Amino acid sequence: MLKIENKADIFHYRTLLFVLVLSMLTLLSRYFYLQVIEYERYSSKSQVNSVRAQATYAPRGLILDRNGVVLVENYPTYILTVTPYELDNKEAQFQIISDITDISIDELSRRYKKYNQGRFLPTVIAKNLTFAEISQIEERRLELSGFQYKRFDERLYNDVLKDAHFLGYLRELDRESIPFLDKSQLYRAGELIGWQGLEKQYESELRYSKGIEYIEVDTYGREINTINDKNIPAYPGKNLTLSIDSKLQQFSKNLLIDQKGVILVSNVDTGDILSMVSNPSYNLDIYRGETTDSDWSNLLSDEDKPIINRNIAGLYPPGSSFKIITAFNLIEDGLLDPEDSLMCTGSYIPPGSSNTFNCWKGDGHGLVDLNKAIAQSCNVYFYETVQLIKLADWTKTAKIFGFQNKTNIDLPNELIGQIPDKEFFINTYGRWGWSERGVLLNLTLGQGDILVTPLQSLRYINHIASKGKTAKLKLNANKKVEYYDDIILSEQTWDRVIKGLYDVVNSESGSGWRAKQPEVKLYGKTSTAENPHGEPHAWFNGFFNFEGQTYSLVVLVENGGGGGAVASPIAGEIVKFFTREQVEMVNK
Amino acid sequence: MSFFNNYIYGSNEYLGRLYLIVSSLITFGLITLYSISTDPLSISSSFMRQLIFIIFSLFIFFVINQINVKTIHDNSTLIYIFSFLLCFVPFFLSPVENTYRWIDLGFFYIQPGEYLKCATIILIAKYLSNHQLEVKEGYIVFIPILIALLSSFLVLNQPDLGTAVIIFAPVLPMMLWAGVNGFTLFLLIAPVITIIAASNNMIFNIWGVIMFIIFMTFQGGLLKRVLIYFANIFTGLLFPFFWNDFLNGYQRQRFIDFLNPDLDPMGSSYHIIQSITAIGSGGMFGKGWGQGSQTQLKFLPVQESDFILSVIAEEFGFFGITVIMFLFFMLIKTLLDIAFKSSDYFSSLVIIGLTSILFSHIFVNSAMTIGLMPVKGLPTPFVSAGGSFMLLCFIMLSLVSNLSKN
Repeated sequence: MLKIENKADIFHYRTLLFVLVLSMLTLLSRYFYLQVIEYERYSSKSQVNSVRAQATYAPRGLILDRNGVVLVENYPTYILTVTPYELDNKEAQFQIISDITDISIDELSRRYKKYNQGRFLPTVIAKNLTFAEISQIEERRLELSGFQYKRFDERLYNDVLKDAHFLGYLRELDRESIPFLDKSQLYRAGELIGWQGLEKQYESELRYSKGIEYIEVDTYGREINTINDKNIPAYPGKNLTLSIDSKLQQFSKNLLIDQKGVILVSNVDTGDILSMVSNPSYNLDIYRGETTDSDWSNLLSDEDKPIINRNIAGLYPPGSSFKIITAFNLIEDGLLDPEDSLMCTGSYIPPGSSNTFNCWKGDGHGLVDLNKAIAQSCNVYFYETVQLIKLADWTKTAKIFGFQNKTNIDLPNELIGQIPDKEFFINTYGRWGWSERGVLLNLTLGQGDILVTPLQSLRYINHIASKGKTAKLKLNANKKVEYYDDIILSEQTWDRVIKGLYDVVNSESGSGWRAKQPEVKLYGKTSTAENPHGEPHAWFNGFFNFEGQTYSLVVLVENGGGGGAVASPIAGEIVKFFTREQVEMVNK
Repeated sequence: MSFFNNYIYGSNEYLGRLYLIVSSLITFGLITLYSISTDPLSISSSFMRQLIFIIFSLFIFFVINQINVKTIHDNSTLIYIFSFLLCFVPFFLSPVENTYRWIDLGFFYIQPGEYLKCATIILIAKYLSNHQLEVKEGYIVFIPILIALLSSFLVLNQPDLGTAVIIFAPVLPMMLWAGVNGFTLFLLIAPVITIIAASNNMIFNIWGVIMFIIFMTFQGGLLKRVLIYFANIFTGLLFPFFWNDFLNGYQRQRFIDFLNPDLDPMGSSYHIIQSITAIGSGGMFGKGWGQGSQTQLKFLPVQESDFILSVIAEEFGFFGITVIMFLFFMLIKTLLDIAFKSSDYFSSLVIIGLTSILFSHIFVNSAMTIGLMPVKGLPTPFVSAGGSFMLLCFIMLSLVSNLSKN
């Protein structure tokens, strides 16, 4: 029918037949070898029954503070798993388990479905088994083929730091997330994985490496023997040593009792964070065991947002600390002589405007030079002088100090604040809805559309304290010290500003006088940031030298009131902690 | 009755033998499935499902049997394009077991990659039969390889390495059948063997000598032969260097993962241990129907499809395995006979292609159960449970009967 005739060659036919016969004989001889020659061996192997491969685990790495205090450790619990293909009669067996553990059959079935990962792999269906439950399961072993209880380590938090956001927590892995994870770690549904904070950031180091154990089991699933030569041992995860000083952390935490806010303390030279408090907080134990849905929804719907780590994810107007940005512009660009004085009468009316802008001090500061303006946080001085600066220059300086970037601290989910520039104003208010002079009056006070995270604010004060060569902030004590991009300003500019910051705390009418300490030179800047949510936020950003090291701190009390009155005393207490600790060390 | 015989067998005396062998294999499979189903007569047991698939597949068999060979020949490009596009459908559906291999039809899954195998064969056969006069020229091999590469690459992305490799299985036998020069065929497989041989110095040296002898025996320009010989040797020498030094650890791992997505240190070696224990403990005459302890206690995994030969080996022993291997041998031999006797070139080539696919399934699956090959989910034709592949086997059978009728 089709035109071309078949011209198959008998030689080709024989070649293919030869390949066929050869392959079949190969297969058959291998079957012969296994079934006839090696019969005895496999027969006895099948009688003692069979080999089961099972994953073995080692502890997750601990998290320690800088002095070796254990912050997070492991706590043994027992879990119940079920291997689907070994089940005899699922309904009846679930009924038995339900009777023993008081978990409803519906709930057991739900977990069975949710964590199921194939017929041959165990699925976790109950946690935190008590000794009584384990012994009942053991008693009814023969009816419960396919069920096994196993040790399962959960995280135990040190009482002192069990509400520290940065530690993070572990979560049980579900099947949907597994394809997105590192394949070499062999994750399985139901295992714990670092889901937030440092537990997530350092997951690959903290996590154990899994092992495999081959076990011979009899027909009832009882272990007869382990076969050692093929086992792959499990190795524990690496410990993580933090830069955090748990004593200081606890001390700082107590300074904020009943107040919302943040306390950050860092070592400027190394970038080590010594204390990172975010209040209100919540007990990390909630991630252990079985937490009820209502507890969860209460926590999530709490208006004070205890779940958020305000240090990295809270956005606040920075207030007067941004006057320093203006000061940097003025001095570095030589726009005025810092020694020149202006008259502060308590209010300022911009040229060509009828609006009055008030200083926080109603009757005025009198004659003010740059140093005094910083020290006493005079608004009028900065209202007048900011008029000399272009918006683009001002925002550029703010960005140089990192306010447009993450600090890249070793924590997940860090937010970036907002430095409004020309583009932002055009997009928000239209081309003609704002004026450069007008917005600068707001920006120079760190108000208006500016938002920063407390951690960005800490980096800012570290930039000043280190005169532009600043170590990257970090929580891992063993992480190599790295540096942010250098900020290059003239020595004189740095000195002027730092002198101003010294006078904030130490001069007679400096706004931060309540922070002053007799033995330690503290530099700082108070801020009182107006905001739409109520009372102003009280800030204190500062640094000090202590025993040859430079430390910095940021105190933020949300809706606390004045920076001078509320935040400065807290800063003073923290410095006192250092001097007191030193005395204690000496006394020892 | 003679009308019926004529309708099914056409004029080919081998078809009767073929149907007898296939029926025996199916019966063997069903007996085995009955033995491993806990409740064989319930509708959800693998035994009953298999029975339903077979009835459904028989229906499809008769439908396809109506189609004229010429229709298949003339529309081979269309058939290929349709099968090719069908392989894209799973990418728009939700993944099944993290792969895009299956289309869920509610009552069973179909695997479009399976049908692409058939379509690829038909297209290659058409090309080769249309260019019969040029078959002694070396360049004839390029288009068939290109077609196979295209299909294989698509399937590889699903990802399905097993099917992607099987797509290549028919290329060489078909070209041999078509009469492509033996030296050309050797040139095609030499680099593959070179790369594999490069893993071991001793083997590589032996291969180098064998290759040298073959190159020197064949005719053709000396310079050309020497050049190709050294190109091969250098590929072999450079490959380990490329693998070890040029790729870093995670790239290698990614490559291995990509080639073998089912790779799992707990999974595959466990399966092999269980399978070999089951086979070995079967002995000469087996433990008896329904008496295989490894099987019945469910130590043996995926026993109704991938490891069904292990069940047969355990319950019916080496005797049972010999019977089934004989049936497989007769199946392939009968198909070769049909291809040899076939009156036209195109049909003959298609049958050789289909035979290669069936054979590679049989070989890879058997070799896997006895630990000679890595674990790959390739079912055994006519014996393993599984709707999509059973249907494909019947479609292939129907094509064979169709093509051999004239």
